[in-house]
Amino acid sequence: MASSFELTRNITVGQYLPTGSIIHRLDPRCKLAAFVILILGIAFCGTYGSNVLALILCTALFPLARIPIRYGLSGVKPAIPFILILAILQLLFYGKGFGTGGQTYFHYGFVTITSDSLRLVVVSAMRFVEVIFLSSVLTLSTSTTELTHGMEHLLMPLRKVGFPVHAFALIITIAVRFVPTFALEMEKMMKAQASRGAEFGTGSWWRIVQRTKDMFPIIIPLFNVALKRAEDLILAMEARCYTPTDERTTYKRYHASAKDVFAVVTSLVIVAVLFAIPV
Amino acid sequence: MEKGLTVRRIVISGVLGAIAILLGVTRLGYIPVPTAAGNATIMHIPAVIGGIMEGWPVGMVIGLIFGVSSFLNATVPLFKDPLVAILPRLFIGVFAYLTYVGLRRVNPYFAIGAAGFIGSASNTILVLGMAVLRGYMTFGVAVGVAITNGLPEAVVSVIVTLAVVASWMNLGTRKKSKLSDDNAAGDK
Repeated sequence: MASSFELTRNITVGQYLPTGSIIHRLDPRCKLAAFVILILGIAFCGTYGSNVLALILCTALFPLARIPIRYGLSGVKPAIPFILILAILQLLFYGKGFGTGGQTYFHYGFVTITSDSLRLVVVSAMRFVEVIFLSSVLTLSTSTTELTHGMEHLLMPLRKVGFPVHAFALIITIAVRFVPTFALEMEKMMKAQASRGAEFGTGSWWRIVQRTKDMFPIIIPLFNVALKRAEDLILAMEARCYTPTDERTTYKRYHASAKDVFAVVTSLVIVAVLFAIPV
Repeated sequence: MEKGLTVRRIVISGVLGAIAILLGVTRLGYIPVPTAAGNATIMHIPAVIGGIMEGWPVGMVIGLIFGVSSFLNATVPLFKDPLVAILPRLFIGVFAYLTYVGLRRVNPYFAIGAAGFIGSASNTILVLGMAVLRGYMTFGVAVGVAITNGLPEAVVSVIVTLAVVASWMNLGTRKKSKLSDDNAAGDK
């Protein structure tokens, strides 16, 4: 029971594993670009061959970054029951609506399994594992500061059309910075409510209304505390004359070397190969 | 309303974005509803509140943070697709803001509640619409999920939005910093 109050334990945002591998040492701008290219490529390719290749490549990233693969698997494990249930549902019902093309393997009553619906199920499950692997390698090998800097640099071209890049990077930094703070606040509030006899998560799972109502005494004060903290931060920033629109310099400057460019080019080549695989 | 991002808008977006992330990673943002699509969510509420309080750009940014965090945390393949997880979420705050602005002359409390409902409904409809377009669900399944998940989401969203925004507006006149805030008086 005590563990249900320790929210900070579950928070892996900003978890960073400093192993100093070649992936860690990549320029954050190029690393982020390469990962975004790979994730988009994976999201849009829908054949068996390309997904098998992508899965192998994503798995190979772990030894390359000297990160134990169990970090990636720990993201996949809680999802396995969901994937299985969803896969079965998709397999049973999708043959009629969507995957009507291709060969029909099985047909009984309203259940139709076609080669297209089978592919949809297998590919979306593999895609899921690939994206989890990719995003865990990225976040485990890059600190949040590096990530925000990388993002700010990559979005720079958008300034031409009036997009406030620096402000946007600041928003992300604030958001990531405040997650653990609010987790602590929330823990405090849950304990305060529980010591006064409130119950959390002890109702039976089918009593949805009851369980939802249990959350209100936490969620609403959480917003109020957050907004109060926001007011403090606004006052502090304004008192220091912070102007979001000004040109500003950074403490750290990044220089892309040949290996960084190579990483981006490699990811582009990989995506091109993924799309070129016909089956 | 003043153009561009003031310090106030930046900070409010960041803080409400933090809540969206927190509700996701602690699983407190999920209402356990036993359906095919998994759980109903209340993580869109920060986007709705941001949209009402500080305008559509703030709502859009919080929606983006919510979308990216749900994309990274997702346990179902449906939300591992950026077109389903991120793109529809951008519009939650925008629709909430438009509803609020359109109705606030009638009655501010009614406008806040309606914005909570419309914001939640736009999340449900756009996400499920995208899921149907991308071939994860049939239209019939999507309508079922819209009723079983969308309705409780909308009800919770109305209650929380109303409680938070109403209390913030009453507090706001005294405790807010007014150094760079040009719309504090105008918004009332």
